[in-house]
Amino acid sequence: MAPSLNPGDLVGRVTRDVERSVLRARNGVRYVRGTHRPKLGVTPKDVVWRSGKAELWRYRRGPGVRYGPPVVIVHSLVSRSYILDLRPGNSTVEYLVNAGLDVFMLDWGVPDELDADNSLETYVDGYLPRALAAVRRETGCDEVTLAGYCLGGVIAALYAAGHDDARVRNLILMATPIDFDEMGAMVAVLREGRLDPDDLVDDTGNVPADALYSGFYMLAPTTEIAQKATLLEHLWNDEFVEGFQAMAQWSRDHVPFPGAAFRQLVELLVRENALMSGSIRVGYREIALEQARGDVLVAMAQRDNVVPAGATEPALSLVGEPARREALRLPGGHVTFGTGKSAFKHTMPRLTGWITAHSDERPDGEEA
Amino acid sequence: MLSMSSGPPLWLQAVYRLERAIGGPIESAVRSDTYFDVVAQANRARAKAVGAVEGVSRRGLHLLNLPAGTDIRRVREQLSRMERRMNALTDELAALHDTRDGVR
Repeated sequence: MAPSLNPGDLVGRVTRDVERSVLRARNGVRYVRGTHRPKLGVTPKDVVWRSGKAELWRYRRGPGVRYGPPVVIVHSLVSRSYILDLRPGNSTVEYLVNAGLDVFMLDWGVPDELDADNSLETYVDGYLPRALAAVRRETGCDEVTLAGYCLGGVIAALYAAGHDDARVRNLILMATPIDFDEMGAMVAVLREGRLDPDDLVDDTGNVPADALYSGFYMLAPTTEIAQKATLLEHLWNDEFVEGFQAMAQWSRDHVPFPGAAFRQLVELLVRENALMSGSIRVGYREIALEQARGDVLVAMAQRDNVVPAGATEPALSLVGEPARREALRLPGGHVTFGTGKSAFKHTMPRLTGWITAHSDERPDGEEA
Repeated sequence: MLSMSSGPPLWLQAVYRLERAIGGPIESAVRSDTYFDVVAQANRARAKAVGAVEGVSRRGLHLLNLPAGTDIRRVREQLSRMERRMNALTDELAALHDTRDGVR
C-alpha cells in the first residue's frame, strides 16, 4: 500500500523514526557494552534434592496448586534448562505454575571430569528414580506427570518403561528424538563412522560444550547475519532486545556431554537406531518402550531443525500403550517449548491444557 | 531508517536475500561428506600434533624432575575416579537408608 502523503501523517512518521533512532542509539550502546543483560531462569524456586551436579528444583506456587499430580520436567543433557524458564512473562515454567500446577525441574548441572563415566543408566536408573522419590517426599503425592525435553524425553521414556514401580500418570515427550536416522547431517557423520565419538571427547572425558556449540552453529553459519540485521531494525524495542539477548545467551550456553553417555548414545541410539526397534538394552535388562506407564503425549514442532518432527513422530507408535498415545503438533522450532510468540500462542496453552485435563483438580489447594 | 510500509524495510529484505544467497551454498557445503571428512581429519591431525608436542615437553620436564601437564592430568583422573567411587558409595548408603525408612 502506498504511504500517505498527508503532512500530518508524514510528520508523525518522521517523529516516530527520530524517536526510534534515539532509542536505537541508547540500546546499541547498552548492547555493545554488555550491560542490561536480562536475568534468566528467575521464577522463584527452591532446591529440594541434590546429587552430584544434578539438582531438583521446586518452583514456588504463587496462586496455589489446583492440579495434581506434580509435573516433573526432565531437561536435556546438552543445553541449559533455563530455556524453559527464560524470562518473566515468557516462561513455560511460569505459565505452568500460574495454571495451578506444582512444577519441578530436574537440572543436570554442568558436568565435569567427575561425570565422565555417567551413562544412560546413571540418569535412567540412578538420578531420576531418586529425584522422583524426593518429589514424593516433598508433595506426598505418589504419581507424577513426567515431561522430558529433547534428550530428557529419552531418559523419561526409558524410566517410565524400565521401572516396574514407576508411578507415572502422564508422560510428555517434547521434541524427543526416537528415530536418529532423521536427525540430520551432524548425527549422520557419527552414524556413518566418519567421526568417532572419541574424536570429540576431550581430556576431561566429556564432549566439551564448545564442540556442541560449533556443531549447532555450523548447521546454519550465516543466519547470525540476518539475526543481527533484524536486531538492528528492532533495536529501539527494549522487549525485542531483551528477548534477543536471552536467546543469544542460551544458544551459546551449552554444557559438556558426559563421555560415557555420549559413546552409548552414538552406539545405541545413532548407529543401531535402537529406539526404533521398540526396545533398548539399558543396564542389565531390555527396556520395551511399549511398557511406558501413563498417558503419553508426543509433542513435536513442525519447524524444529534440531530434532525434526520426523525424528519424534515414531514415539506415537512405539512409546506406551497404543490406546493411551496422543500427538501434539506445534508450529515453531525446537525452542517453541520454552520461548517465543508461537510458544505463548500455541505451545504453552495446549501443553498446559493437556496436562490439566489429565490431572486431578484440587480446588482447595491441598498437597496430595 | 525511515520505513514507508508495514513490512520489513528494503535494506533488511536485501540483507535477508543476501544472507540466503551466501548461506544456502555454505550450508550445503558444511553438510557435505567432504566437509565432515575434513573436520574429522583436522581433529585427528590436531590431536596428533598436540600429542607430539606434549611428548617432547614431558621428556624435558621429566629430565628436570618436574611434573608435566600429562602427569597432572593423570593424577586428576585418579582423583576423579576416587571421588566418583565415594559418590557411588554415598548414594548406595542413601538408598539403604531410604529402604530402611520405608521410602521407595
